[in-house]
Amino acid sequence: MTDNDQAILAAAEMSPRIARYSRTFDYLIVVIAAFLVWSVTHIHFLLFAGDWDFFIDWKDRQYWILITPIVSIMSAAAFQAIFWTLFRLPIGATASALLFLIGVWIVRYHAWEGMAYFPLSLVVPATGLVGAMALDFILVLSRSWVITAVFGGVIYGLSFFPTNWIYLAPYFQPAEHMGEMASVADIIGYVFPRSGTPEYIRIIERGTLRTFGDSANWVSAFFSAFVCMFAYSVFWLMGVVACTPKYIPVGYRFKELYGAKIDAGAL
Amino acid sequence: MKKATLLVWAATTLLFSLMDQAAFAHGERATEPYIRTRTVHWYDVTWSTDALNVNDTVTVQGKFHLLNDWPDSVSLPNLVFLSNGSPGAVMTRVESYINEIPARQSTKGLIVGRDYDFKLVMKARKVGQWHLHPVMNIHGAGAVVGPGEWITVSGNEADFKDPLTTLTGNKIDDLQTFGVSRVQMWQFGFGLIAAVWILWWLRRPLIISRWLVVKKGREDLLITPMDDKVAAALLVLLAIVVLVGYTRTTSEFPELVPLQSGSLSTPPLPKPPHAVEIKFKRAEYDVPGRSMRLSVEMTNTSDQPVSVGEFTTANLRFINKSLPAAVAAVSSKFPKELVPRNGLVIDHPEPLAPGESRLVNLDTTDAAWEVERLVSFLSNVDSRMGGLLFFYDGKGNRSMSEVYGPIVPVFKKTI
Ligand SMILES: [Cu+2]
Repeated sequence: MTDNDQAILAAAEMSPRIARYSRTFDYLIVVIAAFLVWSVTHIHFLLFAGDWDFFIDWKDRQYWILITPIVSIMSAAAFQAIFWTLFRLPIGATASALLFLIGVWIVRYHAWEGMAYFPLSLVVPATGLVGAMALDFILVLSRSWVITAVFGGVIYGLSFFPTNWIYLAPYFQPAEHMGEMASVADIIGYVFPRSGTPEYIRIIERGTLRTFGDSANWVSAFFSAFVCMFAYSVFWLMGVVACTPKYIPVGYRFKELYGAKIDAGAL
Repeated sequence: MKKATLLVWAATTLLFSLMDQAAFAHGERATEPYIRTRTVHWYDVTWSTDALNVNDTVTVQGKFHLLNDWPDSVSLPNLVFLSNGSPGAVMTRVESYINEIPARQSTKGLIVGRDYDFKLVMKARKVGQWHLHPVMNIHGAGAVVGPGEWITVSGNEADFKDPLTTLTGNKIDDLQTFGVSRVQMWQFGFGLIAAVWILWWLRRPLIISRWLVVKKGREDLLITPMDDKVAAALLVLLAIVVLVGYTRTTSEFPELVPLQSGSLSTPPLPKPPHAVEIKFKRAEYDVPGRSMRLSVEMTNTSDQPVSVGEFTTANLRFINKSLPAAVAAVSSKFPKELVPRNGLVIDHPEPLAPGESRLVNLDTTDAAWEVERLVSFLSNVDSRMGGLLFFYDGKGNRSMSEVYGPIVPVFKKTI
């Protein structure tokens, strides 16, 4: 135990015995919180951005780069707000992204490859982990959610494309297939059929970014960064609201209605 | 923790096994009968083999006709995608064509009333028995599943490989695993930094103690100058890693392309020979007798006498067994369950002379109507049926006519 730890326990007026109980409680809460953060982040992402992260042939220059960071910064911001407001723990964003990434890999192995025979190359995920860590670092350094929203939000949105590009770029090499040019990602998507997913439902870039030529990726990344600032702010505030429970005062009649035994003397 | 893990595991397993079963049935009988009898009619479908080894290919090819009596509630085939029905990626797709044009992407502007041919080349990947269908996905309407054949795949799954050489000359050993270890290595590295950061905080007195300290306004204790240094150092480290990684990647792969999207178009096939004009009179479905009866007036507009050989709808082929040309048209390899045993019974089977008009009753009685779940058309808002009639002249030449009209459920024979 460091001097700082002891100072914290002293300020919290905890005796060594209470501190030990408190530590046991910490372990329990951390495990439960981990599952909570994981499942909430996972469900939130599946609902709002699922397909772009499921398949390699959905990771386009437009919607993937735009939507994935915007959706994933929401849960990062909300959990960051909760952990920071209540405990001054700057780990909410990192935990949200890391647990989500671990969960995604479990599902890719277990369900996508194990049960539906999809090869991992078709379903490799991207991650906002680097941006999420940046959010936590900036929050520590600035101790201000507004500064984190402005700088962290921008870094989160901007960093998503280059970080994931480091390992996803090989999938966008050109190849020839049936006399047409296609990216390797397109070919993987074609070769391993998804019976219920015809090609036309892919929501990917339809040539609207052509005027930006080779920089199309960065155009999306900058726009994403801009939106991320606002998405972060909204969800940070929602996280703060979640930390301040309010109870609606109700009268005796209402309590009776719900079966509470009201002591006659109290009336 | 164990319990929660088990619970999550059980829940996901259950969910995905349910999805798996849905994938196994792949909806061949689930689509409403008015769609299956009045949109895409598959014919001349063949499978090059019904037994193959891992890495061998099977070719499914044939033709389809788009019925003129296309239902109002189904989107027109303005955007379609030729696919295959099989559970998951047990077979990989090598090539697919509509009218010999690559159908890698969607095809637009198919014309109702016309015919197209298709070809699917599939490569065996997983060992087992798989029901292989051609499938036409119609934007806004869903999938119309063609006839299915059981394909037995044997051999060793571990032998499956799908190599590819890119246009820049890079050799990919196997598309199944390509790039995966690179993704995992980098994400593991980022994950490691994240884990270090989280543990950096979790090692301290946490929940209650920190909460109490926050309430007392002693934030200075909770975040130390050391924390600031670690955060700043990790931030710089990440920035360097990403910048260097990105720059090296762009120089490693200078020629990259975006995902390819778009659609292609093809003119329909020339109209197939059409020898007989059909005037629809009445159709009824005899509920207790499991029999569909059609009353039509046929006029032979060709210069050869012709006979009715086959009535096909929803992948069922009712064959006129008294006509050798029609019997010969059914390959011995065609799935038996799609060729009802009673066939097509005609009350006036003698050939129709050139120019002759005749009122004919066609009878198709078989349990297949119920097995294939085609009788729920009795509960449809649009109670009509459709199909194709094939005629043969004395030389064995085949011609094709559409037949469609309202269908009436009956409990007593009237025609
Ligand atoms: Cu089937």
